[in-house]
Amino acid sequence: MNYHFGRGKGRLVPYLLLFPGLFIYFLIALGPSLATSVYSFTDATGIKGAPINWIGLDNYKEFLFMGQASRDNYAALGRTLIFCLFVTTVQFALGLLIAVILNNKLRGKNFFRTLYFMPVILGAVIQGLIWSLFLYPMGGPVAKIMELLGTRSEFFGGKPTEAFAWVIVVQIWANMGTTMVIFIAGLQTVPSELYEAACIDGASSWQTFQNVTWPLLTPSVNTNLLLNIIGSLQAWQLFLVLLGYRNGTQVLGYLIYATGFGQTSGSVTSSFRQGYAAAASMILFLIVLVLGMTTQAILQRRERRILG
Amino acid sequence: MSTQLKPDSATAMVLDSVSGKPRPAKTIRWGIVLSYVVLIIFAIIYAGPILMLVNTSLKTMPEFMKNAVGISRSFQFKNFVDAWSKANFPRYMGNTILYTFFATAAYIVTAIFVAFPVARQYVKGSGVILTIFVVALFLPPALIPQFQLMLNLGLYNNPVGYILLFLSNPIGIVILVNYIKTVPKEMDEVGALDGCGYFRFVLTIVTPLIQPAIATVSVLHAIGIWNELILPTIYLTNEKYYPITRGMIVFQGVYGSNWPTLAAAVLIMTLPMLILFLFLQRYIVSGLTQGAVKG
Repeated sequence: MNYHFGRGKGRLVPYLLLFPGLFIYFLIALGPSLATSVYSFTDATGIKGAPINWIGLDNYKEFLFMGQASRDNYAALGRTLIFCLFVTTVQFALGLLIAVILNNKLRGKNFFRTLYFMPVILGAVIQGLIWSLFLYPMGGPVAKIMELLGTRSEFFGGKPTEAFAWVIVVQIWANMGTTMVIFIAGLQTVPSELYEAACIDGASSWQTFQNVTWPLLTPSVNTNLLLNIIGSLQAWQLFLVLLGYRNGTQVLGYLIYATGFGQTSGSVTSSFRQGYAAAASMILFLIVLVLGMTTQAILQRRERRILG
Repeated sequence: MSTQLKPDSATAMVLDSVSGKPRPAKTIRWGIVLSYVVLIIFAIIYAGPILMLVNTSLKTMPEFMKNAVGISRSFQFKNFVDAWSKANFPRYMGNTILYTFFATAAYIVTAIFVAFPVARQYVKGSGVILTIFVVALFLPPALIPQFQLMLNLGLYNNPVGYILLFLSNPIGIVILVNYIKTVPKEMDEVGALDGCGYFRFVLTIVTPLIQPAIATVSVLHAIGIWNELILPTIYLTNEKYYPITRGMIVFQGVYGSNWPTLAAAVLIMTLPMLILFLFLQRYIVSGLTQGAVKG
């Protein structure tokens, strides 16, 4: 298309300069991503030079139908879905609530927005360590408050379900800011005339939200729901920092890592079951795909109904 | 995010729901009061953990053991000195800075030369190329085959190999392409007429014009590398290559119960990100919202 920078061989320059970026992308991202399905049918280990054999569906069979191990896998799968459900709904609701509040003319709104968004950039290590301290069981601030209320918790050192619940709290704390800024960006696209019109028609603030803000927020609602669902299904870094590979708390993402690269992060000598881990990756991928596509389909139908 | 006048849903409360006439100011306040109550509760939940961190980092160990939440009296700056030397900060922080800098710089240069011709459709199949980048966001994780690849290339436990892992970021390409499309095409024609070659044109004319997008993508990419924990755990076994994230986990393993020193270490690690964040918040937010909407 109307290339002005040369003819003949000169026409090839953009191709030449585009090549490195595209090549690296194929090499380290797209290629490996597609190869995951291939590896899931093998008994690959993480040892250099070790033979890799084709074993068909064995990894999948083992993952899904082999006694205690697969019961543990189903438990991890269940936890992944529970984690996704709680994180998605709570983060969505809080993000929306705070975005709507901050969309008003309030003193210090920039300060609040900055504060709530800040954890997003800190990363799992800092987020995790900050909360390990905040939830210090022997007289930390949260422990003190709970003491006043007559309860107590061992937090991350407590029963698996309890520790798991606290990881959900930290996950939401860490990522609510993203949901919030996407909603704020969406709210800013709602024309102010509509609010004025709603005012003149005598709508209450709840009616205004229901009939003006909420429908017009549809694009950000869709984005946030999809991002939260996909993100929380794959999130497990906070589990690594806060709990380690602890029975009764693993989610699928962590299970993949642990089987593929050894359960203790420090030791390299333990044998890595990478074919099996690849099969587990494919199962997680299929869950993400099915849930993501279903949500997308529902959201699109809703969008057509609302926005025409 | 701009600070211009926003649609103000609180105004709905200012108006009487029946007559549509403004109520006296006194009755409005409740909505605003409630808003502030919510904001302040969340401010405590968000600032609390960080204030606890700062406070703990200034305490002595006995002080912390006696009363974990009490305000520091001794202002132990020694914790920072301890943490700095014991956690091997100079080395780990240096590694992180090197990885982040080189990977981000190399990524941005290659990304511009992908995004520009694709946005301008100067290469055949531009649409297909863009789709290929977007598709990656919906494919299985690359973790296992990527490891096999690095192992067989001899790039395992190798800083160069580690940097190579960060030379791809599909969302960045999408953001750059969208921004380049807003730059008028006539620029290209004029540049070419003046005898500017393609390479020089992209570097000296296009790059300055798309600076906001470059800043956004760089910042997002750099934050990702800075915070990365999984990849160094997988790929870097030699302690002298550890980035700060991995180093911090090791430090926690050793000093896990000495919270004052550990808190000082975490604070040292947090400060660069906080400062960066306060200055570049605009780019980070615009990158997240754009990437989210377009991706």
